[in-house]
Amino acid sequence: MTDLPFIAQRTRRHFLRDCGVGLGALALGDLLGRETPPAAADPLAPKPPHFRPKAKHVIYLFMAGGPSQLEFFEHKPKLNELNGQPIPASFIEGKRFAFMGSSHRVNLLGHDKKFKQHGASGAWVSDMLPHTAGIADELCFVKTCRTDLFNHAPAKLFMNTGSGLFGRPSMGSWLTYGLGSECANLPGFVVLQSGPRGPRGGASLWSSGMLPSTYQGVPLRNKGEPILNLSNPGGVTAAEQRKVIDAVRQLNAGRLAATSDDEISARINAYEMAYRMQTSAPELMDIRGESKATLDLYGIQDPGESSFARNCLLARRLVERGVRFVQLYDTNWDHHGGVTENLQKHLPAKAKDIDQACAALVKDLKARGLLDDTIVVWGGEFGRTPMGEVREFTGRNHHIDAFTMWFAGGGFKPGLTYGETDEFGFGAVKDPVHVRDVHATLLHQMGLDHERLTVRTQGLDLRLTGVMPAKVIKPLLA
Amino acid sequence: MSPSLRPLCQLAAVALGLPALFAADQADDTVRFNRDIRPIMSDTCFHCHGFDEKSRKGGLRLDIREFALKAGKSGEIAIVPGKPEESEIIKRLYTKDEDELMPAKESHKTLTPEQKELFRRWVKQGAVYEAHWAYTPLNAVAVPAMPAGGRNPIDAFIGAKLAEKKIAPSAEAPKEKLLRRLSLDLTGLPPSPAELAAFLADPSPNAYEKQVDRLLASPHYGERMAVWWLDIARFADTVGFHGDQNQRIFPYRDYVINAFNANKPFDAFTREQLAGDLLPNSTEEQKVASGYNRLNMMTREGGAQPKEYLAKYGAERVRSVSAAWLGSTFGCAECHDHKFDPIKAADFYTLQSFFADVKQWGVYADYAYTPEPELRGVNNDSPFPPEIKTTSPYLQKQDARARQEIAAFAQTKTDPAKVAAWIAALQPFAQKNADGWLKPAGSYEIRKTAMAATPAKKGAKAAPSPSVGTPVAAAPQAFAAGQPIALKKAPAKGENVVVALKPGALRVAAVRLALPEAKAGSRSSLTVGFAVRTAAGKERKLVAGFADAEAKDFKYAGGAEILGLGNTWSLTVPATGTPSAVWLLDAPVDLAEGDALLVAIDGAGTQPIQVSVTPFGGYDPLTVGTPPLSPGNQAVAYLCSVQPARPDFEQVKAMAAKLREYRRGVAWSLVTEARAPITVRILPRGNFLDTTGPVVLPATPSFLPGYRQSTEQQRLTRLDLANWLTSKENPITARTFTNRLWQIFHGTGLSAVLDDLGSQGELPSHPELLDWLAVEFRDHGWDVKRMVRLMVTSRTYRQSSSLRPELKDIDPANRLLASQNPRRLDAEFIRDNALAISGLLNAADIGGPSVKPYQPDGYYEPLQFPNRTYVASKDAEQWRRGLYMHWQRMFLHPMLVNFDAPARDECVALRSASNTPQQALTLLNDPTFVEAARVLAARLLAKPAKEDRLNAAFLLAVGRGIKPTERASLEKLIADQQAYYAAHPAEATKLLKIGLTPPPTDDPAAHAAWTQACRVLLNSHEVITRY
Repeated sequence: MTDLPFIAQRTRRHFLRDCGVGLGALALGDLLGRETPPAAADPLAPKPPHFRPKAKHVIYLFMAGGPSQLEFFEHKPKLNELNGQPIPASFIEGKRFAFMGSSHRVNLLGHDKKFKQHGASGAWVSDMLPHTAGIADELCFVKTCRTDLFNHAPAKLFMNTGSGLFGRPSMGSWLTYGLGSECANLPGFVVLQSGPRGPRGGASLWSSGMLPSTYQGVPLRNKGEPILNLSNPGGVTAAEQRKVIDAVRQLNAGRLAATSDDEISARINAYEMAYRMQTSAPELMDIRGESKATLDLYGIQDPGESSFARNCLLARRLVERGVRFVQLYDTNWDHHGGVTENLQKHLPAKAKDIDQACAALVKDLKARGLLDDTIVVWGGEFGRTPMGEVREFTGRNHHIDAFTMWFAGGGFKPGLTYGETDEFGFGAVKDPVHVRDVHATLLHQMGLDHERLTVRTQGLDLRLTGVMPAKVIKPLLA
Repeated sequence: MSPSLRPLCQLAAVALGLPALFAADQADDTVRFNRDIRPIMSDTCFHCHGFDEKSRKGGLRLDIREFALKAGKSGEIAIVPGKPEESEIIKRLYTKDEDELMPAKESHKTLTPEQKELFRRWVKQGAVYEAHWAYTPLNAVAVPAMPAGGRNPIDAFIGAKLAEKKIAPSAEAPKEKLLRRLSLDLTGLPPSPAELAAFLADPSPNAYEKQVDRLLASPHYGERMAVWWLDIARFADTVGFHGDQNQRIFPYRDYVINAFNANKPFDAFTREQLAGDLLPNSTEEQKVASGYNRLNMMTREGGAQPKEYLAKYGAERVRSVSAAWLGSTFGCAECHDHKFDPIKAADFYTLQSFFADVKQWGVYADYAYTPEPELRGVNNDSPFPPEIKTTSPYLQKQDARARQEIAAFAQTKTDPAKVAAWIAALQPFAQKNADGWLKPAGSYEIRKTAMAATPAKKGAKAAPSPSVGTPVAAAPQAFAAGQPIALKKAPAKGENVVVALKPGALRVAAVRLALPEAKAGSRSSLTVGFAVRTAAGKERKLVAGFADAEAKDFKYAGGAEILGLGNTWSLTVPATGTPSAVWLLDAPVDLAEGDALLVAIDGAGTQPIQVSVTPFGGYDPLTVGTPPLSPGNQAVAYLCSVQPARPDFEQVKAMAAKLREYRRGVAWSLVTEARAPITVRILPRGNFLDTTGPVVLPATPSFLPGYRQSTEQQRLTRLDLANWLTSKENPITARTFTNRLWQIFHGTGLSAVLDDLGSQGELPSHPELLDWLAVEFRDHGWDVKRMVRLMVTSRTYRQSSSLRPELKDIDPANRLLASQNPRRLDAEFIRDNALAISGLLNAADIGGPSVKPYQPDGYYEPLQFPNRTYVASKDAEQWRRGLYMHWQRMFLHPMLVNFDAPARDECVALRSASNTPQQALTLLNDPTFVEAARVLAARLLAKPAKEDRLNAAFLLAVGRGIKPTERASLEKLIADQQAYYAAHPAEATKLLKIGLTPPPTDDPAAHAAWTQACRVLLNSHEVITRY
């Protein structure tokens, strides 16, 4: 079932696991004068995939709110030509949109963005994303993504968990559940956030659902301590904390010797991991050691200031440290046309916020040899309508029929544009790709068969891709 | 599924492993359908050959014998009873032809040779089918012979199976372990050392049973059981969707706690929650119980489609009700007939139809794109109607206590002689004005008045400032004492009426506005400001303190009613009584003879307004004025009116601000209100836009006994549903409930998959025992405490929890119950336990609103609509039990998340029990646990030095004495830390001020060192585990 040469690959984490529970455990063995307890109880131990994977890590750049594919990637001259005219009724009959009947309009909306083809691949990218355009040949664009739900929180849940219902595991949880973690001192699934507030849907977006909470995403916070309760209490230094943990370990070890209860060895492991996180998480967040060239590449002016760019650099550092799934949420991509969310002023500002850093991340990963086994994903929970919305300014409504995502690295075909939409960018005319297909494809690249990665719940072998048909989109893969 | 993934889902592994375990050495070799064949069929056959017509392949249906014995599309007969060699199904299991092989390759399922052989033998033996165990009628079960040492019939069932396997049960756990187990299981709290000592010293043969009775009678029993039921009922303080706003429903939690404490029969408990509002002459309590139907998540999101959300709410309700009472997974049937169980899509919607009369809105707002006139004015701070006004005994008690505290404080701060003199001096006033309010003569004029600069609070209207602006009417209008003012013409915009009252020489503590002739149902909004004008004509502004009115519009912040009025009194005039509002003056003003008190009123209109004043002040606008009688009230009135010392008055103000949070004992709670039922259709594929499906009326699930359906003439109600659920005919509610109770006391249900007793769940390890328990429960008045007592007094429960290495291979999951199962405590009890051990726990009060323990800063930052800032509880509420923690569905308290408490967005019957680094970080660093450690340290240090403090710590924490190795380790740590903190006093100070508890005053180094040792203890696995 699994190919042996792959299994034979060892990592530092495998080593630590096999040797028990790290350094603390070595000491523990001495203390008890007996064999160290087996580490079998560790649910995050690396596990063999279903087949040889192309990638080991995912960095998912989530533009929360739904970025406009029409201003960024979809060159549709007809929009300008027919600006202000109603979209032919055949497009919208029987369709439903958010905010029906109020600000929603059926008139097409043009724009003043300049589109050009870039790189050898000739991908269309507008002048709003010059840096992204510069790496067009690294990217695999999918123009025909579609989803089922058109309100923010359900759609975000759907993009992350394959279901609009709360209580389902997110993609990062599925991956750490299926593959374990390769990182001995940081969580296997990490969430970074930028922009005001957080994404609609909150912690449910990185919830482990009915999987044990071991697999939930751990948000690294930009302000205060990077992980909740990570800091020692006031008046307790790292050295004193270590003494406390050692004494806890002694109590637990005594109990373990008396009871042979596996849960206790898992508990001892968890304390060691917690201790390592107390050192490694602050070290991770401290990017002052990065070269000026690197900071410049990402466009980071102040290494201490939280931003999407800084999160991109942190994502690279996380992947370097073996973290399986890194998800970046950047908020405020919901450009309906209101005073604080319109296409005139705010979309360009958001584009500027992310463009350089996205490109830098791909370049940086490539330069460090990390891009081959890291998938970078860019997208939102849905796209925007070709029709305009008129509020105080102009904007576009939520659109689920066709929107653009891009992928880089991890065995995705660079320089590919996949799928075609109609003259307005409303729907797919060729090669539609459902969210479920995106999930199936990502799991596939990680070495997992989306039909076999299941958990029995409420009488069903539940999977990320759900019960509707889903397929790996092979043409996207190198 | 790869072998390495499977063990992660422990339940699935157990479910798959079990039939083999129990089938292995049956006395006879009869293959049983339910035990041996159905689980395999359910897992591998039913998906394509089961109930769901749409996904059926080859025309073959295997779940019903009649069909399985007919020829399929291919003409072959699947099962020929007695003749495996002629049965197509057997051929297909054994064939070498990959295209023919079953299960089909695409299913990724395979059968083991043993499973294939079982199938073959079953067909050979005649292919006898049995109805699915959980749906079969519940009949009396014969109790096997009582084994030696057995205490009640439970032990007979468990003992019979153990005897079959020739396994001896474990010995009874030592007394101290037994009491800790029992206390944690029945109350969620550890035994106190005194309780433990009493039990150890009780030699009577029924000493243990006495403890069971004591703990069942404890009010903490209800708190413990509530935690479990609140997961099932998906109780939370917030609505879950989008803005995850607060909802008002804590009285429902009180109802659940009280129901368990009062041992409300489960049938009544069921009726009240599902249909409390429909009961004849329903009580307030029953209405509060009906809040159960409102605990689905709700939204107020702009852009959301009401119809879509109503469909979501309806579907969730079916999932929750069916999981809670039927232990069944109806969720699948929202879109299609269930693939593994006989649940049809029609069953899903007929069940939903029972709830079609629950008054609710898809989107709780009145948006332009979906107008909802009844919700006019609702914003993100508003509550979620319908609600009822009810009382909270907890709040009433706190209210009374706080009032007494203020009175006591005032008495300590005032000189009784002076108070008496003041009261005596005001006697003439009180005699003239019996209600304490003077209606003086005066005059009024219209002024063009600029509003004061910035309103204090968002939304509050600026107070008109009477000391600015110029008169527009030349001659002020005079009015006589006792006369209301009444304008002939309403003032223009930007104009106010300014009333000048001349009460003579008087200290005025409060001002009252009344509307004596206001018409019931009319609207008024008055904004006021105050000043004094001396006889010499000099004007000086006065500061208004707290104001309130009985009749007023409710305004909300974060879902809670904003207390008091601010400057503006808005109301719809009630049907009876004269509406009035009272403003306290801060501070009271001394008027000399000839001085005028100016009251500027914006929005007066032409209605008569009576303005009166009182010298009798206080902190409560609704009770000031009345001449105080009791010494305490006189002292308060004196302190607030005369103000001998301003700091004391400020203290009273602060105490009063806290008092007001108790809201005079009033609480609001979401309830079910019945309306004309909305139309419920079967939604093809669950699509709410598709209205082609047939309309359905309420009916009980078609596959369960006792079927009841609506007729054209009579539509069944929620009450009918509740009655059917707890009827004698319905077998599954009693099975579901007793199976879950079993899980509480043994760690695993008799059928391990608590939320699915269907065919994808698990055949019970002891089916006869489960049925026996269910019959006991149903036939003895649905008496919950009786069932609990039965379980915890059994020998099975009282066994030692030591692992039995010799049984590791025979019974790896201990399903035969040859011993107890150790189990990590649930999140809430981990908190309760630490607080109880330290002595911090505030356990005296039962019920009441949710509380807010310490939480990392900024954790709510992502919440908006409206924005939220978490303010941790500042008094003894900080140390209330975990079940009272504010349950923010979208951002649940990190401590709860880390210890596997569910968000409660849907019904959860079983929590997972993970073991993570985040748990370690919580116990190590969360201020709750650090504070508990330092308070425990102080508790130990308060003991005389000659006492064995470390031993005392272990008795408190784990109910046993300390062992020598443990002592050595901790003594070493304490010595080391004592030296460290003696050398680093500043660090000790930092450690000792974590939490609200005042830091110790003496010997910080010792306190810090012992705090460190107590942290170690509270972090140990044993403390968070029930053995």
